[in-house]
Amino acid sequence: MTITRRNVLKGLAAAGAAAGAAAIAEPAQASEGKYHQAPDDVGMLFDSTLCVGCRACQSACKVRNNLPTDSRSTQGGVYDAPLDLNGSTKNIIKLAQDGSAITYMKMQCMHCIDSACISVCMAGALHKVQGGITAYNAATCVGCRYCQIGCPFNVPKFEWSKSLPVVEDPKIVKCELCRHDQRGPACTEVCPRAAVIYGKKADLLAEAKRRVKLNPGKYFQDRVYGETDGGGTNVLYLSPKDVSFAALGLPTLPDEPLAKLSESVQHTTYKWGLAPVAIYAALTVVQLRARKNEDHGQKEEK
Amino acid sequence: MAAHAHERPLGGQILTSGFKFLLALSAVWVALVLVRLVWGLNGPFGNDPLLSVSAQSDGYAWGIWKPLNVVTFTGIAAGAFAVGLVTYGFNKGEYHPLIRSCVMAGAMGYTLGGTSIMIDLGRYWNLWVIFVPQWLNWTSVLLEIALCVLAYTLVLWVEVAPSILEKLETSANPSTAAKAKKILPALRKAMPFIISLAILLPSMHQSSLGGLFMVAHTKTHPYWHTGWLPALFLISCLTMGFGAVVVIENLTTMAWKKKLDQPLLARLSIIPAWLTVAYLVIRIADVFWRFRDPMVQARHAAMGKPLFYGGFFLLELLVFAAAAAMLFSKGVRENRGKLLGAGLLLVFAGALYRFDTYLVAYQPSPGWSYFPTPLEILFSITLGAIGVTVYVLFVKLFPILSGVEATNAPDPVGGKSAASH
Repeated sequence: MTITRRNVLKGLAAAGAAAGAAAIAEPAQASEGKYHQAPDDVGMLFDSTLCVGCRACQSACKVRNNLPTDSRSTQGGVYDAPLDLNGSTKNIIKLAQDGSAITYMKMQCMHCIDSACISVCMAGALHKVQGGITAYNAATCVGCRYCQIGCPFNVPKFEWSKSLPVVEDPKIVKCELCRHDQRGPACTEVCPRAAVIYGKKADLLAEAKRRVKLNPGKYFQDRVYGETDGGGTNVLYLSPKDVSFAALGLPTLPDEPLAKLSESVQHTTYKWGLAPVAIYAALTVVQLRARKNEDHGQKEEK
Repeated sequence: MAAHAHERPLGGQILTSGFKFLLALSAVWVALVLVRLVWGLNGPFGNDPLLSVSAQSDGYAWGIWKPLNVVTFTGIAAGAFAVGLVTYGFNKGEYHPLIRSCVMAGAMGYTLGGTSIMIDLGRYWNLWVIFVPQWLNWTSVLLEIALCVLAYTLVLWVEVAPSILEKLETSANPSTAAKAKKILPALRKAMPFIISLAILLPSMHQSSLGGLFMVAHTKTHPYWHTGWLPALFLISCLTMGFGAVVVIENLTTMAWKKKLDQPLLARLSIIPAWLTVAYLVIRIADVFWRFRDPMVQARHAAMGKPLFYGGFFLLELLVFAAAAAMLFSKGVRENRGKLLGAGLLLVFAGALYRFDTYLVAYQPSPGWSYFPTPLEILFSITLGAIGVTVYVLFVKLFPILSGVEATNAPDPVGGKSAASH
């Protein structure tokens, strides 16, 4: 094939079309190096029907993770009362309302099997560790906060009030299942009603399904959130029948990982670097030929 | 290359009152950067709607600095990409006179965009990690953008270099002149290889700037969330680029004694007209196609505020359509004022699409809202002022603009001593 201007155009158009087509086409396989669920993966099961909103898990989390208070003063007293997950709160109990029905919701990192935050992280600051835990390593984090955009659960938080390197060292803050501590997640240890339990993901899923089966009609949609949602999460949820998962703050997700679309577009467009190299070569040849013709024309004029 | 002999430095006084004003604005930007570096991205008063350096929060982790300073500035800077693609990729040498001005604006736009990203990084001191191959995560769209934008900014300055070297050739210092005379021919020989990069790289990262939001399925309103984001951002960066060329040519002609080649701009401007049509066809067809999916309809319903989202979506389509309609008219293209209007509309349309995707369409979860603070907007304005400052300085000193009248710079390669009135 001779390289002509038209072919360059075709190349550019093809690259654009490939990107578009990839958006529609099913990618054949998950890319290599992606995380897949392992039998030893751990997680948590939160059964909202059991939670009484005592927030023991919230304070235990702060203690074990050595997190500062998020204090608020009201009616003459001062309370460590965060309103949401934030730079000093990795775990929170919130009241969830669906119409007239209310229940408690515990929010922390979901430890997605194929985490969007890991997919978007530039240099692996967010990554998987033993047990399928989505972990954070500040050493390779540049603070771009793309993880905050990518996470469908709005879990990663940034220490906005900090700025200076070393002295303040602002970081991304999120639950890492207390992986720094032999004892496991503090929240599951202190829960007086065992509303949140810790264990192997496979066992927790079986337990959740057992509860649903034993109590038909007790749980919302008779299903476990996190089994397939967003490709599956290692933290699982059961909600009372009249409170939707959306009301708990858990978004309706497709069954595939959220990063699948961007990854397949990216992989199709840049497969083996073929398209960029081809476009580069074509552009260069067109210019060299034009230059040659130009020189030739000048010589003839002389 | 013979075609390059047309460009001349503007010459004239540099420290005009306008230039001093620009310098003052630049100083304000430096002050704002210092405040951000010492007290953080929210500044000394935390997240306050009036006093914060930026209103960015855990919900809106990216504020206007991304869609404005990075994506709109580089969209305007894409004039270099657009005209380069036509001139070199399609071998239309007639557009050569526009190249240097575009490339200069491009180099500034990208330098500013890159600078803004770095200042916006929460842990900027760690940026070196993106150069350690074994740590890199190639599924990250942002990584592709970061590396590609850095490389392209470098390429743009290499493309600016011949203008500077041509000036140095006439330097009073014989050794400087000799060095410039030695480097120039080699650089010209290498130029095709550099220009190819200058077309390839922006097509990669400009599309990725849209691709960034593909991952945010549930947080980006379905009018904007699509697998076609990269294609739409690529096409609209070209339409913005072409629009910016028209605008910049007009502004430089208004500001200084310089001729404007209206027939040339008129011929060029039919290209963005067709590109806009392509953009609109994909944009509208894509929305119709995706809305057949019940999950997309459910997301649309869950996000609510139909007038708000629908209004912005329609406004966006209207502005693009209006620009195209104007550009298809020969009368508009051949009239300087009307074409300038169409050019401005093109830039505005692209900018609106970018703001919509990054902020209007973005809703992390109920309860979060974002509106830029006065200082956040001032940061962007003063950053833009730095771009204008450097552009003005360069076009006065170096042969960058075409059609500069001889009274401005009697000597083809001019200098500071050139006659001014």
